[in-house]
Amino acid sequence: MNDLILELAEKFGAATDERSIDKCAIIAAEKLIETVSFLKETHAFDVLIDIVGVDYLGMENHKGKRFAAIYCLKSTKNTARLRLKIQVDENEKIPTLSRIYPIADWQEREVWDQFGIVFEGHHNLKRLLNHVEFEGHPLRKDYPAQKRQWLSENDQMLDQLENRLEHLGYKVI
Amino acid sequence: MQNGSPGFFAGKLDELVSWGRLHSLWPFPYGTACCAIEFMSTESARYDLSRIGSEFVRFTPRQADVLVVSGTITFKQAPILKRIYEQMMEPKWVISMGACACSGGFYDCYCTVPGIDRIIPVDIYIGGCPSRPEAFFDAMLELQEKIKNQSYIEERKKKLKEQWESIKEWGLSIRNWKK
Repeated sequence: MNDLILELAEKFGAATDERSIDKCAIIAAEKLIETVSFLKETHAFDVLIDIVGVDYLGMENHKGKRFAAIYCLKSTKNTARLRLKIQVDENEKIPTLSRIYPIADWQEREVWDQFGIVFEGHHNLKRLLNHVEFEGHPLRKDYPAQKRQWLSENDQMLDQLENRLEHLGYKVI
Repeated sequence: MQNGSPGFFAGKLDELVSWGRLHSLWPFPYGTACCAIEFMSTESARYDLSRIGSEFVRFTPRQADVLVVSGTITFKQAPILKRIYEQMMEPKWVISMGACACSGGFYDCYCTVPGIDRIIPVDIYIGGCPSRPEAFFDAMLELQEKIKNQSYIEERKKKLKEQWESIKEWGLSIRNWKK
């Protein structure tokens, strides 16, 4: 598995994350799509298990950018796991993975909803867990944990349902 | 009919109506978490809520009398709960079951409503996480006691007064509009 990170370092300039316990490679945001498609094609990482957001604000001994997005990849053929970490600041963007892994669509929406990390090129970047009238991103460290926001009317989710039905081949009138 | 108290027949009618109401309370289960499992247990054979006349769990708010809110209510869920409460017919009562529905429980965070009494009026609160079927029975009996003391005639009087006030207001507005 260390060979894999070395290979990534050679090809895409990845660095090993010393803080993490298991295998984790830090890569630049611009190299994400190349790296992931390389991993998917040549090393059979066929499952994107999760995308995790991290906010390092106020963390001791932390140097560098404020946020990080961690991609947990798994290969069902080689039974291998790998994590890719991308560090971003507040105004920086990460390219979307939803064209390589369709599941990344909702996972990126969740990370955007909770942390405010923007995924560039995402076709429908809107809130997944919180309601439409919510302001701010609740899992950021500077969001007051007990600050509650009322939703005044029902959330509309019909647009997505219609898209899904059309995708399945039904005609929406 | 002196000093506002109902006469003999009206008083007996009052008693009859509340007797009828309290022995056929049909619950609407609004189950969102583990308290709903305890509610199922209360309904089914071991505890058997039909012993006090509440065997019909109605899954439409239009046919139910008691809204049983069992579980955590999030802010995303709150408008739905309010709409369901508004869809219920009068007379209606609300039981808030478990710590989450009563106060938000241990979800002291940005997404959980701190008690459903911020959205809808609640008649009976049940503690516990989740509350036991015995506690639910206790709440139902307490609700029956409460209904026994409610007066149908007084309710009607209040409603008629409200209606009369609104009609008067409407009339006044028409008169002003003509001017």
